[in-house]
Amino acid sequence: MNSGTGPQVDPFTIELIKGTLNGARAEMEALIARTAMSPFIREKKDYFTAFLNPAGELVVSTALTLAGNLVDAVLDEFPAGTMRPGDIYAYNDAYGTGGAVSHLPDMAFVMPVFHQDRLIAFVESWGHLWDIGGMVAGSISPHATSVFQEGIMIPPVRLMRDGVEARDIMRIITRNSRFPDMHVGDIRAIMAACRLGARRLDETIARYGVGQVEQSFEAMLTESETALRNRIAERIPDGTWGFRDRIDSDAVTERSYFVDLELQKQGRSLILDFSRSDRQADGPINFLMDDSVPKFMLGLWMCMDDPGIGMNGGFERAVDAIATRPGTLVAPRSPAPLGLRSHTMIRVTSALFGVLAQATGGRASAAPAVYVLYYLRGRSAGREDTLCIEGLSVGFGARTFADGIDAVYYVAQENYPIEFAEMEFGVEIEAFGIHRDSGGAGRWRGGCGIIRDVRVLADEAELGLRLDNCRHPAFGVNGGRSGQPGRVLVNPGQPDERDIATMSDGTRLRRGDLLRIITPGGGGWGNPAERPADLVLDDVLDGFVSKKAAEDIYGVVFRDDVIDHDETRRRREALPRPDGLYHRGHYYHAEADRLD
Amino acid sequence: MTTTCADSLLALDVGGTFTDVILVDRNSGEFAIAKTPSVPAAPARGFFSGVDRVLADAGAGPADIASVLHGSTIVTNAILENTGARTGLVTTAGFRHVLEIGRAEIPRAANLFSWVKPERPVRARHIFEVPGRIRLDGSEAVPLDEAALDAVADAIGAAGLDTVAVVLLHSYANPHHERRVGARLRERLPDIDISLSVDVLPVFREYERTVATTLNARVQPVVARYVRELATGLQQRAIAAPLLLMKSNGGTCPPAEAARAPVSLALSGPAAGTAGAAWLGRLAGFPDLLTIDMGGTSADVGLVRANEPVRTTAGGIGHHPLSLPMIDIHTIGAGGGSIASITDEGGIRVGPESAGADPGPACYGAGATRPTVTDANLVLGRIPASLLDGEVALDPDAAERAIDEHVARPLDTSAGDAALGIIDLVNASMTGALKVMSVERGLDPIDFALSAFGGAGPVHAAMLMRSLGTGCVLVPRHPGIMCAIGLLATDLRYDFAVTRLQRAGDIDPVLTGEVLDDLADQADRRLTADGIPPERRLCRRAADMRYAHQGVELTVGLADGPVTTATLETLVKDFHALHQRLYTFSDPSAPVEIVTLRLEASGNTGEFSLPEVARAASPRPEPATERRVRLDGRTAVPVPVYRRTALCAGHEISGPAIVEQFDSTAVVLDGQVALTDPYGTLVIRERTSRERAP
Repeated sequence: MNSGTGPQVDPFTIELIKGTLNGARAEMEALIARTAMSPFIREKKDYFTAFLNPAGELVVSTALTLAGNLVDAVLDEFPAGTMRPGDIYAYNDAYGTGGAVSHLPDMAFVMPVFHQDRLIAFVESWGHLWDIGGMVAGSISPHATSVFQEGIMIPPVRLMRDGVEARDIMRIITRNSRFPDMHVGDIRAIMAACRLGARRLDETIARYGVGQVEQSFEAMLTESETALRNRIAERIPDGTWGFRDRIDSDAVTERSYFVDLELQKQGRSLILDFSRSDRQADGPINFLMDDSVPKFMLGLWMCMDDPGIGMNGGFERAVDAIATRPGTLVAPRSPAPLGLRSHTMIRVTSALFGVLAQATGGRASAAPAVYVLYYLRGRSAGREDTLCIEGLSVGFGARTFADGIDAVYYVAQENYPIEFAEMEFGVEIEAFGIHRDSGGAGRWRGGCGIIRDVRVLADEAELGLRLDNCRHPAFGVNGGRSGQPGRVLVNPGQPDERDIATMSDGTRLRRGDLLRIITPGGGGWGNPAERPADLVLDDVLDGFVSKKAAEDIYGVVFRDDVIDHDETRRRREALPRPDGLYHRGHYYHAEADRLD
Repeated sequence: MTTTCADSLLALDVGGTFTDVILVDRNSGEFAIAKTPSVPAAPARGFFSGVDRVLADAGAGPADIASVLHGSTIVTNAILENTGARTGLVTTAGFRHVLEIGRAEIPRAANLFSWVKPERPVRARHIFEVPGRIRLDGSEAVPLDEAALDAVADAIGAAGLDTVAVVLLHSYANPHHERRVGARLRERLPDIDISLSVDVLPVFREYERTVATTLNARVQPVVARYVRELATGLQQRAIAAPLLLMKSNGGTCPPAEAARAPVSLALSGPAAGTAGAAWLGRLAGFPDLLTIDMGGTSADVGLVRANEPVRTTAGGIGHHPLSLPMIDIHTIGAGGGSIASITDEGGIRVGPESAGADPGPACYGAGATRPTVTDANLVLGRIPASLLDGEVALDPDAAERAIDEHVARPLDTSAGDAALGIIDLVNASMTGALKVMSVERGLDPIDFALSAFGGAGPVHAAMLMRSLGTGCVLVPRHPGIMCAIGLLATDLRYDFAVTRLQRAGDIDPVLTGEVLDDLADQADRRLTADGIPPERRLCRRAADMRYAHQGVELTVGLADGPVTTATLETLVKDFHALHQRLYTFSDPSAPVEIVTLRLEASGNTGEFSLPEVARAASPRPEPATERRVRLDGRTAVPVPVYRRTALCAGHEISGPAIVEQFDSTAVVLDGQVALTDPYGTLVIRERTSRERAP
């Protein structure tokens, strides 16, 4: 049976096949988590799985918006007619694939699935590999100035033919890792997951028939496309809106960068134009952005009311075009380095919220802060070196319906318990708390960042840092204020107290030094004077907002934990009205900001 | 039923709606059962109406009862509904927000733009810091600040809190500060219940330990009051038999222990169900089971291997992680009350929204108009038009109207086709949940029997077997009271654990032996207090181990006897082997660490058995009636309906068939055969091709 012919597939079968494929994906992810060897995959769970149609459109996938268009580059090298069952194609060459992966540690594996010699689908999975060579262990360095320093680049290759691994290619890949055993373990785990996915798809075809499966693929795409189109039609009027958001630094220079976005909506046409974004960066914050990325972000935001709407190629169909200009931050030219691309990826999200805020009368999220990492490489006489790599949480942006998430890293990635960090990292954590007042004030408050006090126990240690939102805190929307910036100090309150550059590497610390990392908060949404006074009181009692900020910014006055309503009313009437759609230190409008 | 001198076991499983009661004679295996309404507002009253009813029904008296076993949702509900005591937390200075920050992740399946962080057990305003610091190795870095502690005690008193949890960093390595805080608070605040983390979960990872300890504190007064009421009520009825309460770990404990560590009762109900399934599986000769308990709003999936429910220390309740050892349960929002609906895009969804018990499915006639899974089963004829032997009449027309209006017409299809689709979708959800417990752990369902219970489980089990490929289905003789039966089958069980990090190369047999001996002493004291003689005690030792730099541990069993270098070498070897089996690789050259030592102690409270059913005279039972049922074909066909009570050992039914009983209905599909075993368990299998041949 060919697609397009045969009986029309009914909605129940579509939902059943959707559930079956998502179940197969869960199985693939469980297999990866169970059999991969490196901590990035086993514990940080940094991987992705998907089924795609023969045209390379995602049908079901993990809801992570880092990359897309996973198959085209493979097809360019290996036309569909040359592919056979049991083949697996692999690559991590971000530039060579036009952004199919967005930095080199993510290696993608693609397996075609056939039914009676006809290509039906691709199974795909990528995982963040522990070390692929490059200038430092772990391959990512804030100091990289070229992608060639960030590890080996594998263009699309056939890593498996008819189920047989291409040993020579495997040897080349493995030889370039500092941890070859772990590397092979991870790669085999991900390839096993692809084969499992292919087997599950075979079973699904055997059960429902190939025609029903193919029609269901199409129906799932149509469902997501329709859902997004309907929501766009309901919420976004015709017009053009522009917005610019900023990144502190590229870690190599002091220069800050910006992502610029213009949303053009006319009838059924919606275009996202990034072509006025800043030039590409000298340091590794460049984001080789696949067109699908902003489309997926838009789809996930607009369709969040129905978890049954999958992130797939339907979202891509619903948005006509993404415009970028080569040589810019979101379309860098090789060999611009890519390792810290999440800094720009998250600004793409906030720029999208920025234009949506204008288009929808403020009905968009405020900006999130970018998650934080620090690297502490300790050396002590007579003891093993220690390596501490900790991800630290930040505040996310306030939403139109809820406060921003406090103290959060990102999807599916857990922090280290203090009692574990002290076992492993040669440090003592002396305080770990909420960064009070860091969440932007608003009707809905931005999420707060955190403060972590880390005592160095090694004789000496070298510190690397990546904190964004220290010069350019996460903006607030619709009357909401910006989050507070992050900051890093050594020996606070001591005579030798000093600030450390928040995008930097190579700072020397000594035994007994106290490192204080203060992470940024997310932007607020709506006028703080309209936040219910009891919520403000709650925030003060629970340590998210200071009493001073409650009075000065929210205009809420209380004595002995009881709100003084009369005084609060007077204060709130006297508060200045927001006079710009956005806030970063002060209220502003998008157009003036774009002319900076 | 007649009984003689204290030889009966009385078991009560108190659920949200009903209380299931069973009274069984340990010698003869004869039993009486009753189903009475639960009284959520006054749970002890519901408990005793069940006791009184079954004793009256059985004609038994208080002197007949040897012990009273009880599974309760009182802790579960208090946690899930965020009720319970006003609780505070005392923690190490600098760490007030550990509970709020948690593990800082958005769940993998969540939409990052819509996810909202769930509320924590204690709000930060009720978290108090005390200066003082214990290091990783148990040494004291900063002495406890007694003056600050007194100020905290005053603040707790002023805040009007009912209970307080105390969780200090590294208290598992040195409990001195934590115990001192506890003692001082007890002196200063005699009316407040105190939970110490070192007593609840002396294991590293401060967030998880804090969640367990604060939840424990929150439910403490509720449980204390409840067990007092139970003691009083039993005394009033002159029931002198000991009372044992079901814990999440699949064992029981006496009331005093329940009042001390109530959070260990968090999954009492599902644990009892899985324990019951394991016990019945052993009787039926099936040591490895997947279990599914499908009720009105949710389905609980469990796993049994070698006759033992599989346990985990990575479980949870609601949104809270709970690292106490518990029976491994995966719960999904699929039940008889799951609502079917159509989206704006024309897609169909079934659940997780549920009609619950009130108003319930449309066919209950309580005014609900939205279609549920139960309505779909009724429209297809798979369940009878009345429940509980006719006590509750169902309204098939209301069911059909609901499906027609909300699903069939929007999709331009018939109510029957829509009902079939709804059932397929809910079955797919349950199949997915069963896969999480099996294939996602590297287990092949063909090696397992599927034990299906709860009111709705047996209706769906034959279809789940077909989609999952389990070896067979087991439908227990009394699927509606599996949790009560599970209570009868359990022993006293305690888990002791303490974190003592030992690096590769520094693993010390003397230290390991001392720590394990200390845990064994605690276990002995506990079981002695429970009156369990040494010959009925069983202790199993284990160690949580990992490769150096790993962030997760595996629990590896350790043989009895003195701990020597040789036994530790075996332990490390066993760790490599387990790692290989679970994760498909191991690295015998890599350094291995012991992180936590564990001891699980059980005390056997006596065996019981259920009577065998009568043997069948001929293998073919007579159906009671016949009705039109739509199974998988396009139309309904006449299907024989059997009464479960009429089935004898050796009876064999060929599908398609329906087997009805008081509290459940089992479906047997075309091509399947259902054999009744000596204990009345229905064993459903796919008919092999040879059997199919004439």
